[in-house]
Amino acid sequence: MLKMNNNNTQPLEYSTEQGRMNILGFWIFIGAEIMLFGTLFASYFTLETRTGSGPAGAEIFELPPVLAETLLLLTSSFIIGLGIHAMRLGRKKAMMTFFIITLILGAAFLGFEIYEFIHYVHEGASLQTSAFTSILLTTLGTHGLHVTFGLAWGIVILIQVIKRGLTPQTANKSFIFSLYWHFLDVVWIFIFSFIYLKGMM
Amino acid sequence: MDFFERFLIPHPSPIIYASMAAIVLTTIAIIVGLTYFKKWGYLWREWLTTVDHKKIGIMYLISALLMLFRGGVDAIMMRAQTSMPENTLLDAQHYNEIFSTHGVVMIFFMAMGFIIALMNFVIPLQIGARDVAYPRLNAVSFWLYFMGAMLFNLSFVIGGSPSSGWTSYFPLAGSELSPSVGTNYYMLALQISGLGTLMTGINFIVTILKMRAPGMTLMKMPMFTWSGLITNIIIVFAFPVLTVALAMGTMDRLFGTNFFTTTDGGMDMLWANLFWVWGHPEVYILILPAFGIYSEVISTFAKRNLYGYNSMVASMVVISLLSFVVWVHHFFTMGQGAMVNSIFSITTMAIAIPTGIKIFNWLLTLWKGKIVFTVPMLYSLAFIPIFTIGGVTGVMLGMSAADYQYHNTMFLVAHFHLVIIPGVVFAMLAGLTYWWPKMFGFMLNERIGKWAFSFISIGTCVAFFPMFISGLDGQARRMYTYSESTGFGIWNMISFIGAIGLAIGFILIVYNIYYSTRYASRDVGDDPWDARSLEWATHNPVPEYNFAITPHVNSSQALWDSKKNGHTLFRDGLKEIHMPNNSGVPFVMSVFFFIFGFSFIFSMWITVIASLIGIFACMLHRSFENDHGHHISVEEIKRTESEVRGAKNE
Amino acid sequence: MKELFPAKHVMGFIFSLVLTGVALSVYFFDMSFFMGMTILLVTAFAQAALQLVLFMHAGESEDKNTIYTSVYYGIIIAVITVLGTMLAMIWGYV
Ligand code: HEM
Ligand SMILES: [Cu+2]
Repeated sequence: MLKMNNNNTQPLEYSTEQGRMNILGFWIFIGAEIMLFGTLFASYFTLETRTGSGPAGAEIFELPPVLAETLLLLTSSFIIGLGIHAMRLGRKKAMMTFFIITLILGAAFLGFEIYEFIHYVHEGASLQTSAFTSILLTTLGTHGLHVTFGLAWGIVILIQVIKRGLTPQTANKSFIFSLYWHFLDVVWIFIFSFIYLKGMM
Repeated sequence: MDFFERFLIPHPSPIIYASMAAIVLTTIAIIVGLTYFKKWGYLWREWLTTVDHKKIGIMYLISALLMLFRGGVDAIMMRAQTSMPENTLLDAQHYNEIFSTHGVVMIFFMAMGFIIALMNFVIPLQIGARDVAYPRLNAVSFWLYFMGAMLFNLSFVIGGSPSSGWTSYFPLAGSELSPSVGTNYYMLALQISGLGTLMTGINFIVTILKMRAPGMTLMKMPMFTWSGLITNIIIVFAFPVLTVALAMGTMDRLFGTNFFTTTDGGMDMLWANLFWVWGHPEVYILILPAFGIYSEVISTFAKRNLYGYNSMVASMVVISLLSFVVWVHHFFTMGQGAMVNSIFSITTMAIAIPTGIKIFNWLLTLWKGKIVFTVPMLYSLAFIPIFTIGGVTGVMLGMSAADYQYHNTMFLVAHFHLVIIPGVVFAMLAGLTYWWPKMFGFMLNERIGKWAFSFISIGTCVAFFPMFISGLDGQARRMYTYSESTGFGIWNMISFIGAIGLAIGFILIVYNIYYSTRYASRDVGDDPWDARSLEWATHNPVPEYNFAITPHVNSSQALWDSKKNGHTLFRDGLKEIHMPNNSGVPFVMSVFFFIFGFSFIFSMWITVIASLIGIFACMLHRSFENDHGHHISVEEIKRTESEVRGAKNE
Repeated sequence: MKELFPAKHVMGFIFSLVLTGVALSVYFFDMSFFMGMTILLVTAFAQAALQLVLFMHAGESEDKNTIYTSVYYGIIIAVITVLGTMLAMIWGYV
C-alpha cells in the first residue's frame, strides 16, 4: 500500500518505537482537542442567541472572507497531504515545497481572519460586547491561535528537515505536524458549518 | 507604591501574618541548610532534573502529603469555628476563604497529586517497563503540577485567597462580587496544574498501551494498571473542559468578556454546567485508582486471585462512559425542568450499578480467603462499608425531587466526604503503606500504622455521620456560624471531635514515617508482602532501569505464578539498556509558567509576555535538541545488581 | 511529477470541495432549519471522515484500533457534552 524508503517495512516516521509512540500519543492529544473544541461549541450554542445589546451573527457575518478562509485551509490541508506523500517517496525537495506552500496558505488564512476580526470590531462586535460576541471571538480566536502556533511549528520543522535531512526523527515530526494541520482543517469545517453557515441560514 | 498595594492581603489576620513569617523563615532555613550541607548539586542532579518515573512519583508523593497538611489545617479550623454556635474564631470572610482553599487543595493538589504519585511509581513497574513513554514530558507534568500548587498556596500571603468555594460559581466568582485577586489565583493555578495533568493522561495511556512486558495482553494487566488506564482516559477527555471553563472565567475577570456575567447576555449557569461536565468525571478520576489499589491489596492479603477480573474491567469501562453523562445532578435545583432532571437522575442511578458490581467482587474475593490483617488491608476492609454508605446517600441525592431537600446542606457534605475519604484517602494510605518498601526499602511500622488507622477510620465516621442529621435538619453548608436555637451545636461538636481524631491519625502517620525511617529493618527482601504482581519481582530499592532483564508474563499474577506455578519470569540474558537523559528544561520551563501565572494574576503584562517567551524558548530548545539518551552497559548492570543484592544482607 | 499527485488525494480534495459546495446551499437556498441542519451535519461529518481516513492515515498503523477508539470516544463525548449542555442550558431550562 505504501511505498517504502530503503528496505524498511514501514515508512520512516514509523521506523522507531519512540516514533510510533509519539504518533499514537499525538492521536490521543487530538482526542483531547476534540473535547476542547467540543466544549467551545457547547458554549457557543448556549450563548449564540444571547446577544444583549450587540449584533447577532447574521448581522455581522460576511460570506466572501469566510469562503476564502475555508478554501485556503482546505487547500493547505490537501497540500500538506501531498507533502507527506512526497516524504514517503523520499522526495525531500518536493516535500519541502509542499510544506512551504502549506504554510503560506496558512498565513493567508490568518490574514483573512485578522481582517475579519477588525471588521467585527468596526461593526460594534468586540470581545466585551455581549455573551455572543465573547464566545464567537474566543472560539475563532482559539482556532486562530492554533493556526498561528502551527505556522511557527511548521517553520521549526522545516529548518530541521533542511539541516538534518529526512531522518526517522524529522520524518516523525513532519508527519505529526501534518496530523495537527489536518485536524485544524477539520475544526474549521465545523466552525464554517455550525457558526457561519448556520448563523447565516 | 500603587504597584505594590496589589500584593497586600485585603482582609488580613494574625494567622496570615504568622504564616508569612513562617514561610519566609522556612525558605531561609531551606536555603541555608542546602548551602551549609552543600546539597544544591545533589538536589539539582538527582531531583530537579530527573526524568525517572520513580523519583517523579516520590516528588508527587511529598507534594501531595504537604498539601494534605495544608488542607487539613483548613479543615480543622473550619470544624473548630462551627463546633459551637455563634463562635467567633473566624469571621465570615475568612471562613469563606478557608472552605474554598480547603476544597481546591484537597481535590487538585492532594488527591490528584497522590493518585498520580502512585501511578507514576507503580505502573511502569507493574507492566515491566523501564520508564514511561515520554519521560521528559512526565517531568514537565510534575513541575507544572507543583508550580500550580505553589502558586495557589501563595494566595494565602500575597494578594488574598479565593473565597467563592472550590466550585467557584459565577456570578459570585466574577470580578464584581470577588474583586480581590483570589479567584485569579484559582483560575491560573488550576490552569497550570491542569495542563500538567492532561499531559500525564496522554503519557500514561501510551505507556500502558505500548510498553507492556512481552506476554502481558490487556486482559493480563494487574488491576491497578487497568484502573490507571481508565483513569487516564477520563483525564484526557475531561480536563480540556476545565481548561476552557477556566480560560473563559479568567477572561471574564480580567478582560471584561461576558460569558458568565449577568448582563449583556452572559449566563452564570454555563459556568456551573462546564465545571461539572469536568467535575463529575473528576470524581471518578479520583476513585478509580483507589479501586485499583484495593483490588491489589485485597487479593494480596486475602491470598486469592481477584474475583471477577473481567467484570471489574467491564465495570470500569462502563463507568468511564457513564461518568460523562450525569453531571447535571450537581445542579438539579438551579433551573432545569422536570424532564432534564429526570433524565440525569436515571443516568446517575445507573452509575451505582457498575460501582456495586465492584463491591461484590471484593467481597467475593474476601470470601473464604485467608485474610492477613495488615495496615493496607485494614484500610481496604474499612473502605467497603463506609464507601457504601457514601454511595447509597449519593443515590439518594441523585433523585432530583429529593435533592431539593438535600442540596446545599450538610447532608451533601457528608455524602461526598464519605465517598472521597474512604475512596481516596484510605486508598492512598493503603497504597502508600503497601508500596512503601518498594519506594524506600523498608516497611512502615505496623503497630503505629494500626493506631493511625483506628484514629482515621473512627475519626471519619465521627466527623461526618453527624452531618447527615444536621443536614436533614436544615443546616446549610458553607455557613460560618448558626444560632443556638437551631440545635445544630451538638452535631457540630461531635464532628469537631471526629476531626481531631483524624488529625491525630495523620500526625501518627508522620510519626510513623519518622520512626520507621530511623528504626525499621532494611532487610525486607524484594517481596515483603508475598505479593502477586510484577513490581515485586525487581529489587529493593529499585535500580534506575527497573528490571535488569525484561520479564515474560503469562497472567495478571505473573509473580505469583513464578513463585507457585513454576513460571519463569526472566528468560533472556543481560543486554545493554537504553535510558533517557536527565534535563533541567522541564523545571526551568515550569518556573516560567509560575512567573506567567503570577504575573497574569496581578495583570502585570510585561512579565506575562516575557515569561511566555521563556516558555516558547524552552519548547524550541527541546525541538532542536539532539538527545538520544544513554546506554547502561552489561558490566554496569552486573555491578548494580550485585550491589543491590549486597545491600539486602546488611 | 505525476507520482507526487496520487489520484486518491486529488479525488479526495475534489470531493471535499464538492462537500463545501453542498454545505453552501443552505446559504443560497431557502429551506427549513431542520433541512439545513441535516445538510450541514452530513457534510461536516463527511468532511471530517475524509480527512481522517484519507489524509491523516488513521488506519495505517499497528495502533489503528487505539486511534479510532480515541477519536470516536472524543467525538461521542463531545457530542454528548454539546447536546447535554443545550438540553440543560436551553431546551430544558425554565
Ligand atoms: C454511587 C455513586 C454516586 C452517586 C449516585 C453520587 C451522587 C451525587 C449527587 C447527586 C451529588 C450532588 C448533590 C447536591 O449537590 O445536592 C453529589 C455530590 C458530590 N459527590 Fe457524589 N455521587 C456518587 C459517588 C461519588 C464519588 C465516588 C465521589 C468522589 C470520589 C463523589 C464526590 C462528590 C462530590 C465532591 C460532590 C459535591 C461537590 C460539591 O457540590 O461541592 N461522589 N454526588
Ligand atoms: Cu457527580
